[in-house]
Amino acid sequence: MDSLDPRIQRLNFPKWEKDLEKNHLDQLETYEVFVQTKEGKPYQHEGVVHASNSDMAFLFAKEQFGRRYTCTGMWIARSSDVSVSQTTEADKSVYDFVEASANSDQLESCEVFHLYKRGKQHRHVGAVQAANYEHALSESKKTIDEQKTVYNVWVIKSSDLLKSAEEDKVIWSTLPEKQFRDAIAYKGADKIKEFKEKQANS
Amino acid sequence: MYGGGNIFEPSNHNDVLNEDPVKLQEFEARIERGEKIEPSDWMPKLYRKQLIRMIEQHAHSEIIGALPEGTWITRAPGFKRKLALMAKVQDEVGHAQLLYSAAETLGKSREDMISDLINGKSKYSNIFNYPAYTWADSCFISWLVDAGAIVNQVANSKGSYGPYCRALERICIEESFHLKYGHHCVIHLATGTPKQRQMMQEAVDRWWAPMMHFFGPSDKISVHTEILMKWKVKMASNDDCRQQFLDMYVPKIWELGLTVPDTNLKKNEETGMWEFTEPDWEEFKRVINGDGPCNEERLAVRRMAEERGQWVRNALKSADMKYVTPLA
Repeated sequence: MDSLDPRIQRLNFPKWEKDLEKNHLDQLETYEVFVQTKEGKPYQHEGVVHASNSDMAFLFAKEQFGRRYTCTGMWIARSSDVSVSQTTEADKSVYDFVEASANSDQLESCEVFHLYKRGKQHRHVGAVQAANYEHALSESKKTIDEQKTVYNVWVIKSSDLLKSAEEDKVIWSTLPEKQFRDAIAYKGADKIKEFKEKQANS
Repeated sequence: MYGGGNIFEPSNHNDVLNEDPVKLQEFEARIERGEKIEPSDWMPKLYRKQLIRMIEQHAHSEIIGALPEGTWITRAPGFKRKLALMAKVQDEVGHAQLLYSAAETLGKSREDMISDLINGKSKYSNIFNYPAYTWADSCFISWLVDAGAIVNQVANSKGSYGPYCRALERICIEESFHLKYGHHCVIHLATGTPKQRQMMQEAVDRWWAPMMHFFGPSDKISVHTEILMKWKVKMASNDDCRQQFLDMYVPKIWELGLTVPDTNLKKNEETGMWEFTEPDWEEFKRVINGDGPCNEERLAVRRMAEERGQWVRNALKSADMKYVTPLA
């Protein structure tokens, strides 16, 4: 095989002998990423990364979702640690189907995320103290804004969320010195005009 | 970066007739109302199958598309161009990650998608099977191949599948820099010395045919395409995308004093449509089926990356991991 790229040429690839089948979990587990785009705004689901643990997921997520836009904070949760409610239709809210329940077991903090519109992302609305996911929904129901229809709810135990630290804020200021990634940094109109004038005069 | 010309699986009408009619009606009504379909919703098997195929091809195209430009990073003229090209290539690889995740929500694992790519079972955009001989080729890709991809991606971002649309919105915003950067590079060469101008012209001559292939052959009107359009899987015909591209970019190429190697290319002022020599679709088929100048190299590079990274992934794997489909 001849390549134009000398580095590829030097690799001297072996002949393709057999198919390579990737094993189960070769790409590791998936993690859900939540991003805060501006100080004071709610965290919002932004996407997924594959990683071996939440620290590695954080590293990938920072590169994937914190690279090109303003970002002031990031949360990471393993996909399997997210409890997902049913999805409702039309003007029915998930909370219409949640019954009040009391629970005196050991309580722990749970973060609640709402989906207000189909096609949009889940948004963080707050934390409740609850014994389990079901209890978290009934606790969350006490605090919701009745005016807004909630189509889907995610609950994640706070202890299952990796949150970027307040004192590490400096890691998010990556934009100002990288203006070469902005469309606005590239201006060509003057050059084209000058070129056309030269063409016309010659 | 991905054009049209999606290779959809052949299907027949029975695929849809076997679906539960009540659920199918609700599904179609939702799309009709302009609502998005989410991973947890019921969807026809055919919808799932075609979307996986389309999003997967798009993801592979981002990965493979980074290769012809990536080889030019070390030889980019000047520090600023190097920084920008590196950022662009990183964006493309990031887009692949976004798209693989969107396809995964439909039930195909990333392992299976990558296996299909490196074993030559999946397709990717045909244009990346051509080599970038000079820096000017890399400039052509950054400007015009990305421009073509944006035409297609903007259309698809209004489709019906939520996770794909959200990924595309992000991709389109990121690519606005690619387009401006690429144009800037081309302007620099085209308004430069005679040697630079010649280099740019040669790149246009080399890439014009693959660029016309990029949007795929004319869609045949069939029951099959009609369903894909109705379900908002396919948002614009290949011909519409090609026309839109010509309309937006041919004047911009001409204003730089460059020529397009097709003497029949002109806009018919009466119909408003561009006329051109019919691209050589035999060549398109030949290359997409594996016989292009770089098919072998592209896959070899991917296979090497897979093989050499294997020990790292093995080391990271632990016994208590379990796979769940990502959420959205």
